[in-house]
Amino acid sequence: MADKFWYVVMVPMVYVSVAWCLFWIVARIAEVLRSPGLPRTLRIFPDGKSLHEPPSAPMAGAFWDAFTMPSVRKTKPLFWAFLIAFHIAFLLLILAHLDILPQVKIMPKDSEHMLGNGVVGVVITVSLFYFLVRRFRTPVREITVPGDYLILFLLLCVAVSGDIISWGNSWTDSGFVMTKKDFAGYLDSLVKFTFADPRQYLSGAHYSVIGTHVLLANLFLLYLPFSKIMHAFFAVPLNKLRRG
Amino acid sequence: MEAAEKQELLKLLGEKLNQSILMYLDNCSRCGMCIDACHAYASTGDIRLSAVGRAQNIRRLFENYHKITGKVAPWLNEAVEIDERWMERVYDTAFTCTGCRRCMVYCPFGIDTQQIQAIAKAMVLGADMDPKPLTMRAKNSISKGQNFQQTKEKFIKELDKIRAEFCEKWPGMEPEKAIPIDVQGANVLFVSMAEKPSILPTASILNAAGEHWSLSYFEAVNFGAFLGSAEMAQQIYERIVNEAESLGAKNLVICECGTAYRIMKHVIGKRSFNVMTFLELMDKYVKEGRIKLDKSVVEGKVTYHDPCQIARNGGVYEEPRNVLKALTDNYVDMTPNRLENWCCGGGGGLVIAAEPEWRMMTSRVKADQIRATGAEVLTTGCEMCFAQLKDVNDDFELDLEVKLVSELVSEALIWE
Repeated sequence: MADKFWYVVMVPMVYVSVAWCLFWIVARIAEVLRSPGLPRTLRIFPDGKSLHEPPSAPMAGAFWDAFTMPSVRKTKPLFWAFLIAFHIAFLLLILAHLDILPQVKIMPKDSEHMLGNGVVGVVITVSLFYFLVRRFRTPVREITVPGDYLILFLLLCVAVSGDIISWGNSWTDSGFVMTKKDFAGYLDSLVKFTFADPRQYLSGAHYSVIGTHVLLANLFLLYLPFSKIMHAFFAVPLNKLRRG
Repeated sequence: MEAAEKQELLKLLGEKLNQSILMYLDNCSRCGMCIDACHAYASTGDIRLSAVGRAQNIRRLFENYHKITGKVAPWLNEAVEIDERWMERVYDTAFTCTGCRRCMVYCPFGIDTQQIQAIAKAMVLGADMDPKPLTMRAKNSISKGQNFQQTKEKFIKELDKIRAEFCEKWPGMEPEKAIPIDVQGANVLFVSMAEKPSILPTASILNAAGEHWSLSYFEAVNFGAFLGSAEMAQQIYERIVNEAESLGAKNLVICECGTAYRIMKHVIGKRSFNVMTFLELMDKYVKEGRIKLDKSVVEGKVTYHDPCQIARNGGVYEEPRNVLKALTDNYVDMTPNRLENWCCGGGGGLVIAAEPEWRMMTSRVKADQIRATGAEVLTTGCEMCFAQLKDVNDDFELDLEVKLVSELVSEALIWE
């Protein structure tokens, strides 16, 4: 029974979650694109010079604002530090997961660690913990809705279970050690739609931890298109509106 | 609330959902960066008055009627039904927002609270709960445009009185030339607040500079914009646009009125004339040597309040400062200033629609900011800000002289 459950979680549910996530992301973006635009500017003016001339590279400015968050840096530097650390670590984490594919060769095949040797996951976990704690403090607490806690809690669980996989690999000398090659077998089978049982590649008691990590990641993907994480796709266009 | 009324109001919400609004409503991460940016929150500590607090009213409604999560799990983002209670709550937050857009500076995504509040205002208007002083004035403006020929005679009669006063104060000019109207091909069509205090000093400056100008029949202020009604706002600004186009005016110069300037500069689209605020024109005159100013007239330390719609939302920062520095060697900026300046608390028509007690309650940070300059003269470039700042000056006992920049310039003019 347990084997069947983990198989559903680690194979069919992954496909459903990814397809669902991609479909709704596209649908959400299309909804915005299909809506009427506003025929006038919504910009604000960071300086007076731009009044009589076209704004200098507003798209570059929008990217700058979206990726460096200068207003946050200026007014809440600690929050900004965690935001930057989180976003950089998140990008590295995506890269690290892609690196599991046998075709990508950043880390050696027999490596027991992902890119960053577990540090990336820890940075994400600590940042998420900070974001969550921050939500319990006034005045942010007053504006927080249950969905804000849910997405943070879900992400935190995904990150912690990922950390456990990472730490587990270094805690033991035998039985639980899995290399990049083992994970690559699982991911490769997913990419190639072989529907093979992940047990073939991932052995030992560690399997349920990986299953839990995949289950949480699936839930995250299912919820992502309806969450505020969609700002990943809209941060630049939004900042472009402000830049003119 | 009747079902039909509900449907009508929800239709208004649906009509407002354009690209920017969809992104604004969907992407707020409630990080709280905008909270401290709002003068109303900073002065009162009431979270409902913060930008995100105000916007959440609309977001919750949007969640209920336009999002899948609102239907599947309404508790997730606290979706709400539209009812009388919601309407009352939204009235309190919509018509207490000055639309200064200071929150937009601090939001990592640049979410425009003024745009979101325009939805709230449209729905309040739709429910006939709008602030009547604003609506009445907006309707009067529209009616003036529609019955232009009938009101013209009365306008000229009133103008003759102002002309007489002008000629008494600055003798040597024929009344009709002192404040001219209907001048074809004028270099400047000046749009005033249609009140004596606004026309007299500006007319003196325009004449001292030897400008070829004409006074508009219409008042600059746009009450439709304060109401958040794009239709009314358009009807009001089209009167001025038509006048400028029929006269073939080269420059449409807006008196010191922030909203009027922003609408004419950034909303109406490209037209046959150039739009500028009177602050820019004065700066031009000073730079070109067309007006000369006596620096001994203005006494004491002078500071300047950047009107939100002219500065942050209009891009005019340095021009008024240049003029003031030509007037005095004792100029000091407020902190913060320019892009990050605190709103006076009277914008968005609040100076007309809101109770003075309310306006003063939300202006504490402004009063503190002004007090910290140690200035004796407080100037600004917007008549709405001017009215509010005079009240702030009295209420917080700042003991300052509050003046429009044009008033100071007019007083310091050296006539040659």
